[in-house]
Amino acid sequence: MLYLELFLQGLLQGSIYALIAVGLTLVYGLLRILHVAHAGLYTLGGYFGVLVYNSSGSLMLSGVVAMFGVGILGVIIYRLCYEAILDQPPFVPLIASIGLFIAMEELYRILFGSYGISYANPPLQQMLPLGGMYLREGEWVTILVSIILIGGLAWLSSHTRLGLAWRATVTDPQMAESFGIDPIRVRYFNFFIGSALAGTAGMIVGILNNLVEPTMGSVPSYKALAIIVLGGLGSVRGTLVAALALGVVESFGTIYLGNVLNRDAIAFVFLILVLMVRPQGMFRGI
Amino acid sequence: MSLLDIRNISVRFGGVHALEEVSLNLNQGEILGLIGPNGAGKTTMLRVITGVVQPNHGEIDLEGEMLNNLPIHARVRKGLGFAQQLVRPFREMTLAENVALAAGAEQTRHPWRSMFRVERRNALQESLKWLAMVGIENAADSYPNAVPLGYLKRMEVARVLALRPRMLLLDEPLAGLNQVEATAFADILVELKSQGQTILLIEHNLAEVRRICSRLVVLDNGCKLAEGSPETVLKQPSVLEAYIGQGTVHAEN
Amino acid sequence: MGYEISLLTFMGISIIGSLSLNLITGFCGQVSLGHVAFVGIGAYTASILTKADTPFFVALLAGMLLAGSFGVMVGLASLRVRHDFLAITTMGVNFVFLGVVRQQEWLGGELGVSSIPDPGLGKLGFLALVLGCVILVALLSLQIRRSWMGYVFEAVSGDEDTARMLGLDVSRYKLIAFALGTALAGLSGGLYAHHVRFIFPDSFAFVESITLLAMVVIGGNGSILGVIVASALLSVLPQWFQFIGDYKLLLYGSLLFIVMRFSPGGLAGLAKNIFPKSKKAFALKGNQ
Repeated sequence: MLYLELFLQGLLQGSIYALIAVGLTLVYGLLRILHVAHAGLYTLGGYFGVLVYNSSGSLMLSGVVAMFGVGILGVIIYRLCYEAILDQPPFVPLIASIGLFIAMEELYRILFGSYGISYANPPLQQMLPLGGMYLREGEWVTILVSIILIGGLAWLSSHTRLGLAWRATVTDPQMAESFGIDPIRVRYFNFFIGSALAGTAGMIVGILNNLVEPTMGSVPSYKALAIIVLGGLGSVRGTLVAALALGVVESFGTIYLGNVLNRDAIAFVFLILVLMVRPQGMFRGI
Repeated sequence: MSLLDIRNISVRFGGVHALEEVSLNLNQGEILGLIGPNGAGKTTMLRVITGVVQPNHGEIDLEGEMLNNLPIHARVRKGLGFAQQLVRPFREMTLAENVALAAGAEQTRHPWRSMFRVERRNALQESLKWLAMVGIENAADSYPNAVPLGYLKRMEVARVLALRPRMLLLDEPLAGLNQVEATAFADILVELKSQGQTILLIEHNLAEVRRICSRLVVLDNGCKLAEGSPETVLKQPSVLEAYIGQGTVHAEN
Repeated sequence: MGYEISLLTFMGISIIGSLSLNLITGFCGQVSLGHVAFVGIGAYTASILTKADTPFFVALLAGMLLAGSFGVMVGLASLRVRHDFLAITTMGVNFVFLGVVRQQEWLGGELGVSSIPDPGLGKLGFLALVLGCVILVALLSLQIRRSWMGYVFEAVSGDEDTARMLGLDVSRYKLIAFALGTALAGLSGGLYAHHVRFIFPDSFAFVESITLLAMVVIGGNGSILGVIVASALLSVLPQWFQFIGDYKLLLYGSLLFIVMRFSPGGLAGLAKNIFPKSKKAFALKGNQ
């Protein structure tokens, strides 16, 4: 039973990682940018969630704001920050993005205080037994939301014109353009979807921890990078598997290696080991 | 006299035979043309020679010394000079600096010692000589982004020559050039040959190949199809057949 | 006076740290996001040794050696993974270093190492030592850049595959860049530990790696003078102006972003655009 519980906890953590990392891998697949500031948007999702909920009391409304507000902000970040430096060597957007992320975190600290904000009436905290497993409502919701959003994304990309345009642009931007696809709109769409997922993940984690603090994105940001690298950089499927795998590895690792390494170090030991064996990550391609 | 001996090379990618028991040798002072339709295995053969691809079977010898286990830079140090199909100049360096880096091969042979070697003037002087040989000394101080493709292709050859290689291995050097440029470029190769340079030429431009090569080896589907003087080889119906199958006769000429 | 001396010492240590990163990232083009791990290895090694009564200079040297050895290991990793993969791997190295140090009792765990012995040079003497090291490291950087080694580094940073085609032993050159850069990071770590006399894991957190990288790229990736100027400014500004202190990270973050967004060549690139003739003094890479 302990194993099963550890495994489920790992999957839960993994599905949160997946929500964050999918956006990151979408951006990388399209633009070859390691978009570290993505985690800043994740944190913002947490703030939108808690602030709107505390003032309106509607979980639905705060979810919508976290998703769409952060999505739109993601597009704005692309427009203002990345568009002009796409043709620079890769370290330029990477470092710009790290700078942006640090500045965002500091801005949250200055605006909302360094101690964080909690939900006034914490929602979704009831224990809910299902199939013999005891998880909180929020945790079940997390798993459900991850499946719905990522499943929806998969459906979108394989069953709609927009998805087709998107896949074509990722494969070969010039080819896509000659089919009349506007690459700029695809990029906006890309940033919108990716950021909206991150915003949702931020809100979910805010609810689960009942705390939103300025630095809540720090660890996920770097871990999400590790995940997309593990997944083969740019491969959505690889990213999903890597996210879940990392969640499970961490979950078991903290039990069995906890006195040698902390949780974050385990993630990166795993990353470095995998990269040494497979320098291109676990998966290649889309 | 045989300089480079390639014996019974086989390469498999998954279940596909990219090369099947191909042997060829490159003799001192000749221009050997390695031709064949697209997908015949020419590029794979070049990759085997550079060491990017490890053959499943077979041996590459340079005057009796086996090269199979050497990394690419060591093969270059032994006298193999490669020019890539896509020109890849160092874009932060002028053309002269690009060539001088190769001309200074002695300065860079031992990494730690290279820290104490400062003098670059001789190498730069020498680079001008090589640039002049390929006819672009007027662009010595230009950056790669400021010169046309034909210049970059010549710079690439000058850069390889500056290594003073015992043989040149050229991968489709005429691709992307118009007929006038291609002929001028081929003439440079003839000139180099007359100075004793050994050249292995992978090329699609059959007119130029026929004009300048001493000998041809034809690959098709990973196997050696024919070998001999250009006149006899290009007359063989099987060679023509291979090209027709691919439709490249029209496409490439 | 004591305060100014301490400030200058700190500035010098920062310059050594950023120049050491500049060897790897600026000269050789291998972006490292975990450089402070090697500063940390130098700091921990040197301070544990001096606490065990090892002479200061021996301890300093040992810290350099150990940092350099780990650096070669990361260099070996860089032979397998490239570009973005390498950046993330080096970032991982920083987190693994922290993860290990935090859990080790004999390294002081979360509390770190305190009451590190005074090297006995006096405040001015220590400053002189640090400035001497700064000059040596700067001279070494200059020598590398004007030598054939620097020429090869430039080629490796531009296009590794082509460099190999020219008979250059790219792997060895990269390892040398990592060995030198990380050993010098170890030096700055040993000096740092004996300057503040108290170190703990957070002194070597990931954000400090970013700080070092900020100094390099704001100065102008590869430009020695630019990097020195940027590190001097960025290390001292927050201390001089207390009101910046609270906003130090906001300043770093914004500066990193603004410089990359509007002048990817850093200060050196900016100077080159304003005074085209000063090209040599600011010799710069990564920018046409």
